[in-house]
Amino acid sequence: MTRWATPKLASYAGLSGVGLLAALVSGRPELVALTAPFVLALVAGLAIAVTPRIGVDFELDEARALEGDELGARIAVQASTPVERLELYLKLPPGVERVEGRNPVGLHLASGELRELELTVRANRWGGHVLGPVYVRAFDALGFLAWEARSAEQRELRVYPREDALRRVLPPREPQLSSGNEVSRRKGEGIEFADIRQWTVGDPLKRVNWRASARRGELWVNESHPERNTDVILFVDAFAEARRGNEGTLDLAARATAVLADAYADRRDRIGLISFGGILRWLSPDLGVAQLYRVVDALLDTQVVLSYYWKEIDVIPRRTLPPNALVIALSPLLDPRSVGALLDLRARGHDLAVIDVSPVPFTVRPDSGLDAIAYDIWALRRDALRQSLQRSGVAVAEWRAGTPLQAVLEEVRAYRRHARYAHA
Amino acid sequence: MHAGSFTQLVAAAAALGLALMAAGVLWRLPLTIPWAVLLTAAAYLVGREGSPVVDGGAAVVGVLLLVAAELASWSIGEDPRIRAEPSLVLRRALTIGALVAGALVLDVLLLGAAAISSSSGVALAAVGVAAAVGAMVVVVRLVRG
Repeated sequence: MTRWATPKLASYAGLSGVGLLAALVSGRPELVALTAPFVLALVAGLAIAVTPRIGVDFELDEARALEGDELGARIAVQASTPVERLELYLKLPPGVERVEGRNPVGLHLASGELRELELTVRANRWGGHVLGPVYVRAFDALGFLAWEARSAEQRELRVYPREDALRRVLPPREPQLSSGNEVSRRKGEGIEFADIRQWTVGDPLKRVNWRASARRGELWVNESHPERNTDVILFVDAFAEARRGNEGTLDLAARATAVLADAYADRRDRIGLISFGGILRWLSPDLGVAQLYRVVDALLDTQVVLSYYWKEIDVIPRRTLPPNALVIALSPLLDPRSVGALLDLRARGHDLAVIDVSPVPFTVRPDSGLDAIAYDIWALRRDALRQSLQRSGVAVAEWRAGTPLQAVLEEVRAYRRHARYAHA
Repeated sequence: MHAGSFTQLVAAAAALGLALMAAGVLWRLPLTIPWAVLLTAAAYLVGREGSPVVDGGAAVVGVLLLVAAELASWSIGEDPRIRAEPSLVLRRALTIGALVAGALVLDVLLLGAAAISSSSGVALAAVGVAAAVGAMVVVVRLVRG
C-alpha cells in the first residue's frame, strides 16, 4: 500500500511547532495551553496509527448478461490489522451502473474482520465490459496518514443485446442447396405443392395425383417446391456512427444484427458476419447455436475505430461471401467507404438489402442560419444516396430508433417483392 | 496603542480567522485551517496582552480551536459520493470527543501547574523545548518523505 501524509498532519505539526516556539520565546503559559491540544492530537494520532493489511476479493454473479439485466456483485474485504476508516470503490465501466448497494463506501474494520459488500449493478449497454479494479484507501484514527492500494481483481462482463422477436425474416433471392426452412421457387422434392405434370418413367407412385389422372385419363404427378436453407451475411458498417448520450446508430445496428442472427439461426440457416470498419472482422457462414453465439460475441467487440484507410470490398475473404448469399447490411450510410462497398457488392451480383440505421434522431437541426441550411443539404444528400442504392436494385429502408425492426423488414420485403432483378 | 484600536485589531484578526476557516470549508482548502487557527489564537493572545494573571479560559479556547480544526478537517475531507456506514460516523465522532476530553484535561493540568508553581519555569521550558523539537522532527520527516 502507498502511504501518504494528509494535509492535516502538516497543519497540526506546523501549529504545534510554531505554538511551542512562540510559547518559549514569549514565556506565556496560555500559548502552551492553546498549542497542547494539537500536540496531543499529533502524538496520539501517530502513536496509534498502524499500517493496514487488507485483502480484497471481487466476484460477479454472472459473466454474461442481457442488456438491461441486473446482476449481483460481491466485494469481500478482510483486514488482518484494525482499519479505523476504510474507503472502498469499485470502478464501474460506462455501460454498467449501480442500482443497489453502496459504492463507494466508508467503513471500519476490526482486526481479522471479514466484510462482504453486496452490490446490484445493471448492464445498460451491450458490449464487453470490465468491472474493477477495486480501490481502497485507509486512514488512521485521526486522519493524519492515509494508505492507498488498488486490487488487481477485475471481472469481465459480456452484455448481449436484448432481442426482439421477429415474426418473419427476409427471404433470399435464391436459396442454397442444403435442406432448410426456405421454400425454393424451383421444383423438386419437398412438401409445398407447386404444380402437376404428366407422369414420366422413374416418378414414384406416391407422387401420382389420382384425381387429376382420373379426369385426364392418364397418369399425372404432383410437383413440389423443395425446402432449402439460406446463407445470410450480416454486414455491420462500423466506419462511423451518430451518437447522442448512451444511444447511437452502432448500438441499434448491433441489436438488429443480434435479432436477425437469432431469427435466421432458428430457421437453420447459415449465418455469417462482416463488421466492416476501421477494423475488419468477419465470420464465415455456419449454422447452429454455436455459430449464433460466435456472431453475438463478435458483435460485442465491434466498435467504431477511426481509420483513414480506404477499404474496398476485396479485403473481405472470398469464403465469407458465398454465391447466392443474402447480404443484409446495417449501415447509417455516413461513410462513403461503406456506401462504396455496398454498391460494389451489388455490382458483383450479391443479393443485397440495406437497413439504413438513421442517424437523424441522433442529430439536432439548428434553428436558422447556415448551419440549418447545411443540415438540410445533408438530409437531402442522404435521401439521394438511398435513391441511388435503390436505382442499383438494392432494397433500402430507413430505420429510426423506436420503430420496430419488423416494420423495416416488411418495407424491405415489399420492395424486393415488387422490384424484380434484371439479369443482363 | 489606544484601547479602541486594540479591540478593533483583535476583532479584525478573529474575523479574518473565521473567514479563512469558512472559506477553507466551503472551497475545500485544508491549508487554510492552520492559518485560521493561528489568527484566532493570535486574536485571543492580543486580547490578553498586559494581563499578568494566567487565564484559565485558555484551556477552553485551546480545546475549542482543536474542535474547530477537527470539524473543519472532517468537513473538507468528507466526500458526499462516499456513503459512510453510520457506525463509522459515530466512531469518528467518539474519537474526536475522546481527543477533546483528553486535550481539556491536559490543558487544565498544564495551566494548573503553571499557576501553582511559577518557580518551575525551567522544567516547563525544558518540556516545551522537547515538544517543539519533537514537532520539528515530525515536520522534517514529513518533508523528507
